[in-house]
Amino acid sequence: MSILMILFTLLGGITLSAQSAINGTLSRKAGTIETTLLTFVTGTMFLAIIILFFGQGDIFAIFEVPTWQLSAVFLGVLFLLFNVFAVPRIGVIATSITVIIGQLFSGVVIDHFGWFNSLVIPLDIKRWFALLFMIIALYFIYKGNKRSNEEANAQ
Amino acid sequence: MRYIAYIFALLGGIALSFEGAIYGELGKTIGQLETSFYNFFVGAIILGLLWLFFGKGKISHAVEAPKWTLLGGPLGVVYLTAIVISVPFVGVGVTMVAVIIGQLIMSMIIEHYGWLGNMKTRINKEKIFAVISMIIALILVN
Repeated sequence: MSILMILFTLLGGITLSAQSAINGTLSRKAGTIETTLLTFVTGTMFLAIIILFFGQGDIFAIFEVPTWQLSAVFLGVLFLLFNVFAVPRIGVIATSITVIIGQLFSGVVIDHFGWFNSLVIPLDIKRWFALLFMIIALYFIYKGNKRSNEEANAQ
Repeated sequence: MRYIAYIFALLGGIALSFEGAIYGELGKTIGQLETSFYNFFVGAIILGLLWLFFGKGKISHAVEAPKWTLLGGPLGVVYLTAIVISVPFVGVGVTMVAVIIGQLIMSMIIEHYGWLGNMKTRINKEKIFAVISMIIALILVN
């Protein structure tokens, strides 16, 4: 069950990158906010139909849950806006790696403090080294991208 | 201008982790597909407002654009639903690692071949080093 779950989540990562690439292309002609809006509108349409057939939860329970659980929608909107802005300027790989560093960094912090009812996993020496390697990765991706651009300009 | 794009991408990643942790909780109460639906529905409202006030692009381009450029929405649905289902089972940490591996592989392939209308950028030494550093970081985090 767990393995299946992880594979499914892997697919989630693949679709996230494909989404970045596709949205980056659309935004060059349609604009950043417009592309993000279209993403949410089409996503809503698809989910409305999926829920009609397969929804087993209770959508109206959103009026009863704590408000902080609903605030995540602003984060999703921010992510997409930032992403659509960054991809045409620095490329898919640089955007993805930078996003990943943000994800891991804040993931480690969330774990450390056990925010949002999550498990408390302290920020130990191993995790500090992980953060160090992320910064190294960011440095290399920046340099690598600069070199690709110089090569492209030289041609 | 370039470094702003990096800062935005970083903030986007931070938003993504918080989103995953919070929606994992919401999914337990109202259901996973419903959580996805909530996100897209309310997100569309927020962006509708942003667009009315600040939109400078051309939304009608959607009608004439190649249809595959409109697939971002359904792809986002797959991602978000996967996260909401996965977090309560395996935790935020493992979920993010799995997502990240998927992202890394896919973005490398997309850019190397210049798929989906993106600039074709050859994979070079520095990018390989970056990915190796990322994998070391991932192993250390777990």
